[in-house]
Amino acid sequence: MTSAGTPSDTIVQEITVRAPAARVFEAFTNPDERVQWWSAPGRFRTTSVASDLRPGGRWVMRGTRADGEPFMIQGEYRVVEPPSVVEFTWLPDWQPDATESLIRVEFTEIDGGTRVRLTHSGLTTERSRTGHRGWPQILGYLQDYAERG
Amino acid sequence: MVTSQAARNAVFRAIADPTRREILKHLRGRRRTVGELASKFTQSRPAISKHLRLLRSAGLVVTHERGAARLCELYAAPLRAVDAWLRDYEAFWTESLRHLKRHVEEHR
Repeated sequence: MTSAGTPSDTIVQEITVRAPAARVFEAFTNPDERVQWWSAPGRFRTTSVASDLRPGGRWVMRGTRADGEPFMIQGEYRVVEPPSVVEFTWLPDWQPDATESLIRVEFTEIDGGTRVRLTHSGLTTERSRTGHRGWPQILGYLQDYAERG
Repeated sequence: MVTSQAARNAVFRAIADPTRREILKHLRGRRRTVGELASKFTQSRPAISKHLRLLRSAGLVVTHERGAARLCELYAAPLRAVDAWLRDYEAFWTESLRHLKRHVEEHR
């Protein structure tokens, strides 16, 4: 969870799964498995996942949104280190002025399971200027605004 | 808050550009004239005016006439759409990871 009230363009989420890291890594990266869990009832349904799991390899996920419209998300693997890390870019086809963001997933074995830590960063950094982080600042304006009432 | 897709797109487009973000930064906490703003950049004044027009059409900058000068003021409310969008992604990941957990724990 991100801390409340901290404007940031990075989302961090964690969950602990009762299984070895190798098993969780496999479920996360294997396209046949991903298509099974990567859906959100009421929001979207995933219908196919294609994946070339190696650094530089591409992945594509297709599905249907709640309103029946098709969608596609694609990206490229940057880091593939089973069973500890997978990092890939994320480019949804519905986003205005598409920005390619980055997702890093770390799998750490802990007592009784695996801690999965997902970091989605650069959500608002335009593609051509990777590294330029204008966003937290922009959200700072919003915070000022909101706090001013 | 209900934000039309078009309005949200306009906000995203407006702040995707570094010069426009810089303009917003200079307007944070104080109003400035167009000339004052332009003096902070190496770009030409018409170029800055063009950026300002885009910021105005996205609703992020409002202008006030003061004599011959035109004062620009930051209006941050439309950025709420961006914040809502980020929160939406957060909810998406929370849900997806829960599904991953259930999937793995039920298919061992």
